[in-house]
Amino acid sequence: MAWLGLCLALLGCEPRSNKVHVTYWEKWTGAEGEAMQKVVDKFNRSQDRIVVEYLSVSRLDQKALVATAGGDPPDLAGLWVFTIYSFADRNAVMPLDDFIKADGSTPEKWLSRYAPVYADMCSYRGQIWAVPTTPTMYALHWNKAMFRAAGMDPERPPKTVAELDDFAARLSKIDPKTGEILQLGFLPQEPGWMAWAYPQWFGGQLWDGQKITLDSPKNLDAYRWVESYSKKYGLDKIRGFTSGFGNFASPQNAFFGGKIAMVLQGVWMNNYIRQFAPGLEYGVSPLPVAAPGFERFGAADADVLMIPRGAKHPKEAWEFIKYLSSHNQAAQRKEELAGVELLCYLQEKNSPLREWSPFFTDHHPHPSIKLFRELAASDQAVHLPKLGIWQEYAREQMSVFENVRLLQQSPAEALRFGQERVSESFRFHAESLERRRARKQGSIREGAEP
Amino acid sequence: MRANEKRDLKSGLGFAALWIVGLSVFTLYPVLASLFYSFSDFSVLEPPVWIGTGNYERLMHDVVFWKSLKNTLIYTALSLPLGMIVSISLALLLNTGVRGMALFRTFFYLPSLVPLVASSMLWLWIFNGNHGILNVALRPIVAVFGAEPPTWLSDPNWSKPALALMSAWGVGNSMVIYLAGLQDVPQELYESAELDGAGFWRRVWHVTLPMISPVIYFNLIMGIIGSLQVFTQVFVMTGGADGAPARSTLFYALYLFSTAFYDLRMGYASAMAWLLFLLIVGLTLLATKLSKSRVHYR
Amino acid sequence: MQPRSFFARSVIYALLAAGSFLFLFPLIWLLCTALKPVEQTMAMPPTFVPRTYVAVLGGKQTEVTRDYQVAEPSVLVSPTEGVSQGRPLLVPRTLYDAGQGTVKQVTYEGGEKKATLVRVRLLKMVEPGAWHVTERSQTKVRSRELRSDVLAESEITSSVKPRWENFRIALATMGGKSVEEAEGSVTALETGVGEDSAVSFWKFLSNTLVVCLLGVIGAVFSNAIIAYGFARIEWRGRNVLFALTLATMMVPFPILMVPLYSVFKELGWIGTLKPLWVPAFFGSAFNIFLMRQFFLTLPRELSDAARIDGCSEWGIFWRIILPLSKPVLAVVALFHFLSAWNDFTGPLLYLTRKHTFTLALALQNYQSQHGGTQWHHLMAASAVVTLPIVVLFFFTQKTFIRGIATTGIKG
Repeated sequence: MAWLGLCLALLGCEPRSNKVHVTYWEKWTGAEGEAMQKVVDKFNRSQDRIVVEYLSVSRLDQKALVATAGGDPPDLAGLWVFTIYSFADRNAVMPLDDFIKADGSTPEKWLSRYAPVYADMCSYRGQIWAVPTTPTMYALHWNKAMFRAAGMDPERPPKTVAELDDFAARLSKIDPKTGEILQLGFLPQEPGWMAWAYPQWFGGQLWDGQKITLDSPKNLDAYRWVESYSKKYGLDKIRGFTSGFGNFASPQNAFFGGKIAMVLQGVWMNNYIRQFAPGLEYGVSPLPVAAPGFERFGAADADVLMIPRGAKHPKEAWEFIKYLSSHNQAAQRKEELAGVELLCYLQEKNSPLREWSPFFTDHHPHPSIKLFRELAASDQAVHLPKLGIWQEYAREQMSVFENVRLLQQSPAEALRFGQERVSESFRFHAESLERRRARKQGSIREGAEP
Repeated sequence: MRANEKRDLKSGLGFAALWIVGLSVFTLYPVLASLFYSFSDFSVLEPPVWIGTGNYERLMHDVVFWKSLKNTLIYTALSLPLGMIVSISLALLLNTGVRGMALFRTFFYLPSLVPLVASSMLWLWIFNGNHGILNVALRPIVAVFGAEPPTWLSDPNWSKPALALMSAWGVGNSMVIYLAGLQDVPQELYESAELDGAGFWRRVWHVTLPMISPVIYFNLIMGIIGSLQVFTQVFVMTGGADGAPARSTLFYALYLFSTAFYDLRMGYASAMAWLLFLLIVGLTLLATKLSKSRVHYR
Repeated sequence: MQPRSFFARSVIYALLAAGSFLFLFPLIWLLCTALKPVEQTMAMPPTFVPRTYVAVLGGKQTEVTRDYQVAEPSVLVSPTEGVSQGRPLLVPRTLYDAGQGTVKQVTYEGGEKKATLVRVRLLKMVEPGAWHVTERSQTKVRSRELRSDVLAESEITSSVKPRWENFRIALATMGGKSVEEAEGSVTALETGVGEDSAVSFWKFLSNTLVVCLLGVIGAVFSNAIIAYGFARIEWRGRNVLFALTLATMMVPFPILMVPLYSVFKELGWIGTLKPLWVPAFFGSAFNIFLMRQFFLTLPRELSDAARIDGCSEWGIFWRIILPLSKPVLAVVALFHFLSAWNDFTGPLLYLTRKHTFTLALALQNYQSQHGGTQWHHLMAASAVVTLPIVVLFFFTQKTFIRGIATTGIKG
């Protein structure tokens, strides 16, 4: 008997034999990737049936779609919220409702554990398509040293957009001889990751539930504001200035390098500052108020996990998703954190869950983490519109942004153009969905006939 | 059928078997499928649904499609003449029979050896608005006029000229083809023209160019086909298929690619591909017609 | 057209020299940049030769970077009060009051411009033309932790030093390692972050060579076999098939792109290298045409004589025709190799994971991740991808030029 046990133990050294291998594609590299790897390792050790293999893949949104289309998808894809709706409409991803129900829960119960803004992102057309892994809220980040050098109070960030513009002017330095820009207080396009939310920030709307509203009057304010920076500082001067910037994740990043004093950035910024500009003195505050009545405005976004259609091990992938939606309320030490809290702790981000464990809240490495929790809890927190054509919409919106910023078109003109295009896309997409629905019903009816 | 005819048919088919498979699988089937897709709503993930001429009708109203076409034609109009002038001039210079011809030919040819991704990277660096060597060289010159050099690829008005400029650097292939054409021109023609008192430019215009007109025609057609499909350098230099900045470099092939593989609107993309085909055929016919009286085949 | 006069010849040489300069300069610039340290790639005015600068900082010989040149008479001071206390400050001499030991600083208070005087300790007087220098560091440490000074040009010794290590680092970082890992200042994590996180440059190279070499073998043999069938055997349907073959040359790639993707999907080839080389084994219209034209020039009698000797059709092809066709085989092989090496669209469409990337795709991927400032590494990587092609060119120049001239193929 002992011999048999020894043999089994020896055989057990070959873990590949009966474990299910789940391929998991993620966007993260570097420190964020290592954090996820640790979570994956912890999951792999927590049970003996499933091995998750973590792969970091660049341009993941495109790769995942192309791989799914090519019949070679991963079992899990760590994507962005903006991909959910188009993937869902194209039938490229599996809804999670059946998995949830099979576990004896209900979709409503499942979602109620997440902060409302993050829960809402993941449901679409009455089904749940994704779960948030690491979420974010956008916030104003400012360089205190630059404030000080300009003789401004380093502890007093701008509270309104009017103040932001005023502070920006004071923080800007222009070479008196050549007219070259040496430093700027703020630039709407640097890095412009929040540009999709500018219209909502200014009190506007991208989608009213029925139709595309890119050209709504409040949106115009946002783009007028974008335009004002190009006009104020001069397009060519700005171009010359920005062509010296490095990549986002480098010490030559405009904010880290002290070339731009204020940026609108997500919770991840702290990580990058630690890595590329350790010792940078900076502060984080809610977004300046852009429109009356939107004092508690917040822009939310998230990284999400999805199971692509055609995945070889969807059930096992779901097990990992379940792990990543759990946390250990009783954690007393870093080692005891679990699931999504472990991930968000290691990546130094806020947790998407409604409930945070006391340890996570109090010992979080991000100095301003509570601010992000408050921002996410705001009743005026928005996320991007849930539209199957969102990626096309976003591209169009980006083109409006670019055309306005480069003074190629007036804001009104650009929005009118964009509105027309997105509406057209929307109509075409709706027709296509309708056709596919009709065909599916048709084939069911045909199948029903003897 | 006689016995040896039969035998020939058997061995002929035997030798051509690979091609019959290749032609069917990798060309004929795709062509027919593409034609079918162009009349369908197709995303690859689900089977195509026939929608008649829907894709083509929508293309007619797609402003970005027309913009991409316009961008492509502007780029063609810039790069094609520039490339022809540069390559013919270089070929003429090399054909003067001076010593060291092979060495100079190698110099001019070297750039076209550089893989397109690598040369795109190099020119991205050269065109950099701030530190790029081109602007460093231009700055003192344009400063005389109180101006500043353009920021090339980040300026929507200069991005297409920049790409055309870069394309002129890689004309080595057409230069070699012209040179081969020039070397076939009989020496006596020049001598008799010279006896008639024709100067250098007259000889080029009345002897050389007519004599190499078939080569020019060939290069023109290849140039049209090539620049209508320009993709790689734009994809690399403008960071993807969005045609940054402000869609000024959204060329036909880029729009087609992003429609097909980012939006998975494969039917729509197929319709675009067929219109491109028609455009290529149309421009080729036009070029043929315009050059008919001017191309001299010996 | 041979110019006779000395003047004409001089003009031609001048033009050739100018043209050569314009065509070669970008390549020279590529190499210059690849051998420079990063800060010298952006130096103004630009330098051509990579250099190293050494100066005495804090009593020690230190390698430094020259940050900028001082334009006006200035002073280097150390404020003894206020926010920048203790940090060296370079101030124009006009703002410095030697008697009081103060400098004038402009500040804003409530939007009002206001000049205040800050008490300072004088460190040194600085003349125009002096350089602000900072200790050069390999790792990403914040500049404030590094020693810096303002020194006259004569105090800095400069010498030529190409940074060959740029190539090593570029190749290592191309596969996804961080610069620190590549420089050995940080050891790679033992756990790793999956097989795709750090792919070795050699993997990209071997993928590329697989695609190129298998493709070349496929292209040479398949096209030769097929072209033989078209050129030297008469069979019913041959001309129809050949006409069809020529007609397909007109079809642009975008038309085939979408359906080919579906075909490869059905075959399960997406994400593998197969779509990039297997089709080469089934012939291509242009190469068939090229080889057929060549085979037609070989005398008919060769085959007839062999046939009388009882040689099979395959034997004639293999033992007689093929050995005579080396020139055209070489052209096809060379140009297939080139186009496979340079191909970007194919890998972009069909490859999804980094460990299957070819060099062209890996290079573009590298640029999209590290673009912006790492120009020295990008240029080094580009040079490495270009070099094999240039070497190949110098060994096969005759075939090359002949190939282009006779066929008009784009390399």
